[in-house]
Amino acid sequence: MATATPQHEPYMGSPADDLAFERISTGELVFQAVYSALVTVMLLEIGVIVFRVLEPLVHHAPALFGSGATIDETFTRTIGNALMTLAPFLAYAVAGHKMKPLASVNRARALGAALAAAAIVFVLVTMGQYVFRIGPFAERPSLEMTLRQTDAGILVEEVVSGGTADRAGIRPGDRITAIRRVEVTLAELNTAVRQSKVGDVIRLRVERGDEEEQFPVEVAATMEIRPAALVAGLVIALLFAAVAVFWPGGWTPYALLIAIMLPLAVGYLWLIIATFSFRTEGLLPVNAQGEVGGLTLRNWEFLWREATGSNPSIWRVTLNTLVIATAMMAIVLLVSSMAGYALSRMNFPGRRTFLSLTLILHGFPAVTLLIAIFFVLRNIGNIPVLGDYFGFNTRGGIALVMVAFELPLGVWLMKGFFDGIPWDIERSALIDGASRWRTFYEILLPQIRPGLLALGIFAFISGWGAYLIPQTYSIGTKTATLAVYINQLTSDTAPVNWNEIAAVGLFQMLPVFLLFIFAQEYLLNIYAGGTKGSS
Amino acid sequence: MRIALEHLTKKFGHVVGVEDVSLDIRDGEFVAFLGPSGCGKTTTLLMVAGIYRPTAGIIRFGDRVMNQVAPKDRNIGMVFQSYALYPHMTVFGNIAYPLKLKKVPKQEQIARVQAVADKMGIGDLLDRRPGQLSGGQQQRVALGRALVKQPDVLLFDEPLSNLDARLRLVMRAEIKHLQKELGITSIYVTHDQVEAMTMADRIAVIQNGRLQAFDTPDDLYDRPKTLFIAGFVGNPPMNFVDVEIEQANGAYYAVSPALRVEVPPDRGAAAAAHGGRVVMGIRPEDITIDPTGAVRGRVFVVEPLGRDDLLDVELDAHTRLHVLADPKLKVGAGDPVLLKLDTQKVQFFDAATERSLLWQ
Repeated sequence: MATATPQHEPYMGSPADDLAFERISTGELVFQAVYSALVTVMLLEIGVIVFRVLEPLVHHAPALFGSGATIDETFTRTIGNALMTLAPFLAYAVAGHKMKPLASVNRARALGAALAAAAIVFVLVTMGQYVFRIGPFAERPSLEMTLRQTDAGILVEEVVSGGTADRAGIRPGDRITAIRRVEVTLAELNTAVRQSKVGDVIRLRVERGDEEEQFPVEVAATMEIRPAALVAGLVIALLFAAVAVFWPGGWTPYALLIAIMLPLAVGYLWLIIATFSFRTEGLLPVNAQGEVGGLTLRNWEFLWREATGSNPSIWRVTLNTLVIATAMMAIVLLVSSMAGYALSRMNFPGRRTFLSLTLILHGFPAVTLLIAIFFVLRNIGNIPVLGDYFGFNTRGGIALVMVAFELPLGVWLMKGFFDGIPWDIERSALIDGASRWRTFYEILLPQIRPGLLALGIFAFISGWGAYLIPQTYSIGTKTATLAVYINQLTSDTAPVNWNEIAAVGLFQMLPVFLLFIFAQEYLLNIYAGGTKGSS
Repeated sequence: MRIALEHLTKKFGHVVGVEDVSLDIRDGEFVAFLGPSGCGKTTTLLMVAGIYRPTAGIIRFGDRVMNQVAPKDRNIGMVFQSYALYPHMTVFGNIAYPLKLKKVPKQEQIARVQAVADKMGIGDLLDRRPGQLSGGQQQRVALGRALVKQPDVLLFDEPLSNLDARLRLVMRAEIKHLQKELGITSIYVTHDQVEAMTMADRIAVIQNGRLQAFDTPDDLYDRPKTLFIAGFVGNPPMNFVDVEIEQANGAYYAVSPALRVEVPPDRGAAAAAHGGRVVMGIRPEDITIDPTGAVRGRVFVVEPLGRDDLLDVELDAHTRLHVLADPKLKVGAGDPVLLKLDTQKVQFFDAATERSLLWQ
């Protein structure tokens, strides 16, 4: 609670007026460059994903746009390659953009810094491209010889020594006339090579002198380094950076955010389309004949399917999941809030030890404890009455184990929230006449309500998505949860219907999705660890 | 309600918070606990409130020993520096909370809360939440909440520290007026000696967990019993000079390498009886710039305070005096000045024990 005194901050000027911006240290430059390089990698990934989604669209162009529309298959690759090639240049633009604040102070310096940053990014990107053999260093299918079109066929000018053509026996001066029996021009041959895969064998008909012979040549992957391409790349990089320095800012962050979020959005769109499709290629539903169309509800059939011996009803499974998630939420909230209060407000022997132990427990991989917990649950199962509800292969038992794994996080979170409440408020309540217990639930709990809500939702979601524990400690279908149900769909001996799995996944996701929409404000509290309630 | 603290001690592990504090607060009296930050004054207050349990010693309200009584059974009202309002309740909810806990009937709650709120000037804010109020309004709510249950004792823990200077003046007057009107025994913790001097009937000066003095403001100012009190009470603070007392022709002189001034015979005699080196204390307002002055110095720094200029005058390499001067004199840094010391209120302290040689 800050004082309400109105204070007038002296005018400090905009950050750009700050003299510190006049100089950019080498460290800063390198940092910006590395940052830009990371953005590049991300953009590359986006490029690949978009490419994969777009490809089937193009594939089915005739069906979509009328039979007259045909698009060469290489077109999609061209798009993909173009995206991959463009991505680094966006990074150069980012590098330049980072120097914008400086530009309003000193244009020449800003330009210099941007160019330097772009150059560094270029070196980093080029190194990366070399390591991963992409961009200018991409390995292309090749026959490893130099060819020239002549009237009498394709003349072999040079053969790379030890290369695949050399090994096949092709010598300079040979003339290639056909692949098998199909006569080809150089352009056709190049297309054939480009469309083949490494390891394919192309049978070349070769005229050597007057003889004619077939040479089976295996397609090799060759990296061609073209210095001109590198120089051009550097020039364009510098150009991009220079433009970015003087680019009117404002919408750039949004453009970047949208670009980054697009693949995610596409992924969810894909999931939804898939659940109503017989099969999908990219975002397109495809029927059994491979034609566009084939929308169907058969993936959602599980909703009204009768339970059979090995397949429980989805509603039974949903109820199981709901019970476990709700129980988890309730117990985690109750125990965490009280333990958090004690740890935050009371001094008792072993407090610090307890805190560090719970932290260690939080970091403990659940998998490593599976066997030990199995024995614990089995022993609980031997206890009369209690064992029927909390033993092995019971919903209670599963909830108990899940709660145990969730508690360290909950206790620490709650302690943090309680730590944020000033002592004075509690003292005030005590002096006003409240007992300690009453102070806890009437004064303190309402103040950490955002934290309670967040933790509750958190625990619920974690129970809702539970897989490992229910899968391990339930036999058969009695206590199966949704995640386990999905797993059972794949473990059948019959062919897996991935689209049905997508449908069940979507079904499981819906409540969580709704929760997130309504509770994102509170969930942010957990991630930011703040106490909004104590203002 | 009479409050008595007897040999009150509080230790946190090995750290001593409060040690052997004994004092008697009369019924209806307004007492300030004054001391620098971390001196133990709030700890003492929290022991009176019942939040902290004393390690040793006794707290009495009237004749009843309160050590084991829970805070809720002590019938006290407390106002905190941070206001400590309940953010999730309205102003009405905040003020009514003590009554609700006492199970006062709903109708009576409403009437009493309205009465207190009107008295505090926040009668029209009852539906608001604390977050929607200004700092001054929040402090009034906190005060109302402390008053509504008609407590026997009111405790204030630096209640005005978070307010701006103007509002602090207004609230200071209001709290003092209210306390006199209601006649509730009050303890007021502050580190601001102006607040303590202006509001309290008596001031308990606490330093390092120990009670240094428990006197009226005037006594603390004119008859400080220790060097710490002399230095802490009064603004700007008192000047201290190491001197020796010389006796000549029935007159007493305080002598140091930097100055030689005559002091009143009764005070001089008391200091001379101690013998050897003593610490002389003289307040800045008792020193004037005067051409007939006998002490020579050079102005080191001038701090304009508005009504006065506070001069830092250098006598020699080891001695500097704070002097309050009329701004019309237009003294600048580096100017040589002659000082006249009005020694009627001069103080003498033992350099080793820091106890006054004049007052016990």
